[in-house]
Amino acid sequence: MTERKLTTSKSHMPKDSFLFEKFVPASLIVMGIVMVGLILFAAGVLLGVVKF
Amino acid sequence: MSLNNVLPFLSTLVMLVFTISVLQRYVVRRQLHFLFWGIGLAMFGAGSFAEAYLALGWNKWVFFVWYLFGAALNAAWLGHGTLYLLVRKRWVHGVTAALVIGSLFAGYLMLQAMPKLDESVFTTSKPVSEQYGTKALDAGESAPEGALTVNTTYRGEEVTAVRGLLPLGTPVRLTTPFFNIYGLLTLVGGAIYSAFLFWRKRVMPNRVVANVLIAAGALAIGFASTLTRLGYGQFLYLGELFSAILMFVGFQLAAKPQPNEVPAQQSVPASAD
Repeated sequence: MTERKLTTSKSHMPKDSFLFEKFVPASLIVMGIVMVGLILFAAGVLLGVVKF
Repeated sequence: MSLNNVLPFLSTLVMLVFTISVLQRYVVRRQLHFLFWGIGLAMFGAGSFAEAYLALGWNKWVFFVWYLFGAALNAAWLGHGTLYLLVRKRWVHGVTAALVIGSLFAGYLMLQAMPKLDESVFTTSKPVSEQYGTKALDAGESAPEGALTVNTTYRGEEVTAVRGLLPLGTPVRLTTPFFNIYGLLTLVGGAIYSAFLFWRKRVMPNRVVANVLIAAGALAIGFASTLTRLGYGQFLYLGELFSAILMFVGFQLAAKPQPNEVPAQQSVPASAD
């Protein structure tokens, strides 16, 4: 019986990469904040608080 | 023809290639998220084209296309594609029904508004997104220099308003924030969530970057539109082109197979395969 070899062939992030260690988490946080800001702005328009 | 006249046509071209690419994937794979993305992208492209047209001259049906597809609906349909990709539950079909009915209702309201358009205020000297809405002025607030005003009754009060193409209190304008909130939550929120999942697991770096680009592209257009309404319309067309390119590059990057990628990974959320 042949045994199927399971390889860990996932593509991993490079270690000590500025892009993945610093830039990506920071940009996700900033974009999350901007998204919430835009949603609140749109909700303000809907409720008549913001004139648009 | 100025650069600002050319940019919306470039955005339209990018969106056309993007739409065809996504719909081709739907035809081959029959996965519904591609269909919704394709519809949303086609709406985005139609909106960009309408905007480009309205920078050169007036046509009320081009305005209809611009407002309904470009300003109101496209983000919601794009985001709905992301919802279909991330959530494989029955209730999503109910949301689809609500989106279709809501979109038809918005179309009906837009048709109702067409005979009431104040076409005399239209000018090609500024983007249509700076002139579509009539805005009531607060007591003591003065109108911007050169703006056309009208005295009218709004919600039982006599008000002075800066004239826009759509009259004050047009019902279709109330539907737009609903679609845009839903679109922001699902498209941007979905891309941020997907990028975070891959990042946390330390896998699929191309899809992390791809989702960051998609979220940034979607936010760029939202941000540019908001700036336009706050009086900084000079960034709108550039923002649209930037948004179209970022989302297109993000999608292409997400669709690119990883080296040694195993088939089981196809089911991981936010893949654009």
